[in-house]
Amino acid sequence: MQSDSIKRAIPWMLSLAVLALLPVTGLLRGSFLSHVLVMILLNASMAQAWNIIGGYAGQVSFGHSVFFGIGAYGAAYAVTNLKMTPYPGALAGAVLAAVLAVIIGYPTFKLKGHYFAIATFAIVEVFHRLFMIWEDVGGAVGLDYPILKDGWRNFSWSRSKVGYFYGALILFGIIFSLVRALEKARFGYYLKAIREGQETAESLGVDARRYKLAAMALSAAMAAMCGAFFAQYNYRVDPSMVLSLDMSMRFVLITILGGIGTLWGPLLGAAILIPLQEYTRAYLAKLGPGVDLVIFGLIIILVMQFQPKGIMGMIDAARKRRRKLAAAGNEHEGGRQ
Amino acid sequence: MSEFLQIRNVTMKFGELLADKDVSFDVPKGMICGLIGPNGAGKTTLFNCIAGYYAPTAGEIFFEGKRISGLPPYRIARLGIARTFQVVRPLKEMSVLDNIMVGAFLHHASAAEARKAAERCLDLCFLEEYRNKPAGDLTIGNKKRLEVARALATNPKLLLLDECVAGLTSTEVHDMVQVIKRLRDEGITILMVEHIMEAIMPIADKIVVLSHGEKIAEGSPSVVVHDPMVITAYLGEKFARKLAEQKAAAGEGGAL
Ligand SMILES: Nc1ncnc2c1ncn2[C@@H]1O[C@H](COP(=O)(O)OP(=O)(O)OP(=O)(O)O)[C@@H](O)[C@H]1O
Ligand SMILES: [Mg+2]
Repeated sequence: MQSDSIKRAIPWMLSLAVLALLPVTGLLRGSFLSHVLVMILLNASMAQAWNIIGGYAGQVSFGHSVFFGIGAYGAAYAVTNLKMTPYPGALAGAVLAAVLAVIIGYPTFKLKGHYFAIATFAIVEVFHRLFMIWEDVGGAVGLDYPILKDGWRNFSWSRSKVGYFYGALILFGIIFSLVRALEKARFGYYLKAIREGQETAESLGVDARRYKLAAMALSAAMAAMCGAFFAQYNYRVDPSMVLSLDMSMRFVLITILGGIGTLWGPLLGAAILIPLQEYTRAYLAKLGPGVDLVIFGLIIILVMQFQPKGIMGMIDAARKRRRKLAAAGNEHEGGRQ
Repeated sequence: MSEFLQIRNVTMKFGELLADKDVSFDVPKGMICGLIGPNGAGKTTLFNCIAGYYAPTAGEIFFEGKRISGLPPYRIARLGIARTFQVVRPLKEMSVLDNIMVGAFLHHASAAEARKAAERCLDLCFLEEYRNKPAGDLTIGNKKRLEVARALATNPKLLLLDECVAGLTSTEVHDMVQVIKRLRDEGITILMVEHIMEAIMPIADKIVVLSHGEKIAEGSPSVVVHDPMVITAYLGEKFARKLAEQKAAAGEGGAL
């Protein structure tokens, strides 16, 4: 069994290694392409973080921009106000996000119905307003980074995006490896069972509330790590950048488009939406703010119309069709012999 | 011995409706105990009280000497009581094997061990060929078997089966009855609700009869079927007559 799981890990490790070699090939010399790649990796990681609670455990959260924001502010606060490296700030942000996640989940997971979704919806507005008036973190202006020396110590690179690319790749590697392991473990089975039937899961000894809380805390902490990266990458943070419903919807939409509750859905969703968004941004901006979201909303509605399980669902269906055809073909040949 | 499962004066009310009224009986360890009664007699409600889905309005339930009434379902499951649902509840998007593995994870932390334990239950309940099918795609008969297999995977001491053969063909009923007997022989105590008398009467060591929420009879199958209260409340004259004829025939043949 041990060697089995090692064997299973080989393609995944190889893909990470191939991605890690990209900068060496010189393909990333153009900074726009590297920017798009960084954004794909970041958004895939964000969607995957959301996927833990929203996809596997089936509890839809609209509050992930808050966890994301807490991580972003954590890193930025450590750098700008405390003159430290961003790492302790990111870590503190992750812990605080997990604590907040438990505070929201504890009362609402007890209730049946949509209380959890509503509560996560509400905190976005609450935290946006809070950070707008919180002088210590710059209020509406937010926090601007000073000029820092390039490198891993400050997690900041001004001349090329290669450093950020590796940073995003590490983030992506950690979050996807985590969910990959979780999917095959008791934790993942229990989350799926809770999603498919909480009472059934409980009849099998699953403390559903505890598992949902654990999933929520893990998901929030991962979202906060993504937020910390986002602050580092933009060299600043302000309330509207992170603490918005738009940002929350990003977590949800990418996952749904790619395939909710699947390992590769978040990556597929990001790999399709982000280039589309980055390449059409300049053009769409002329039409007014939020138009891009409307268009992406439409794309997602269209996809869902045909396949509620997103692009992963389409791929699965195509695979099944092919297998069926192959089986029919074999039978046919067998018949002739 | 009778300390295994004790139901003491359990009453369950839904508003004004008395689903169970002052029900008391014991299920001794190692037995197959049948719980029968007409529709709406309060059998499933009593199961829900034992498994922790309802806290009884009054009365207490003890398992191995420990009071379990009022505990949440997952705690009761961990004590060694597993249940099936009369209205089947497959974890639809998960495969049949994965459904059973969820049960097996209760006592096996590693996925490899849980899979091994689940595979045993899969075989035992005749589900091998549906192993990788989504549970939602199974026929009703196979969903019933999945209920049993999944509950079994938690390695219970007491198994509560709520009409687990309803909807099966007669050969399938026969197979399931064999499975239930085998489980009893392995030491699992079974409390089963069943409408199909042919399934329960031959294997039950004891029968409890509920009618309108009240226990009206308790005893060995042969005693219970001859109880006049039971006959009028539930079995009806027809079945009682059939049973008497069968008995007479068996007596003549010298068998049984
Ligand atoms: N959650 C509930 N709320 C209100 N009434 C209920 C509830 N559950 C059961 N009842 C009622 O309690 C009574 C007993 O129902 P129960 O399901 O226990 O019967 P049963 O013996 O299992 O019947 P069947 O053989 O049809 O399965 C019925 O009148 C039923 O309508
Ligand atoms: Mg019932």
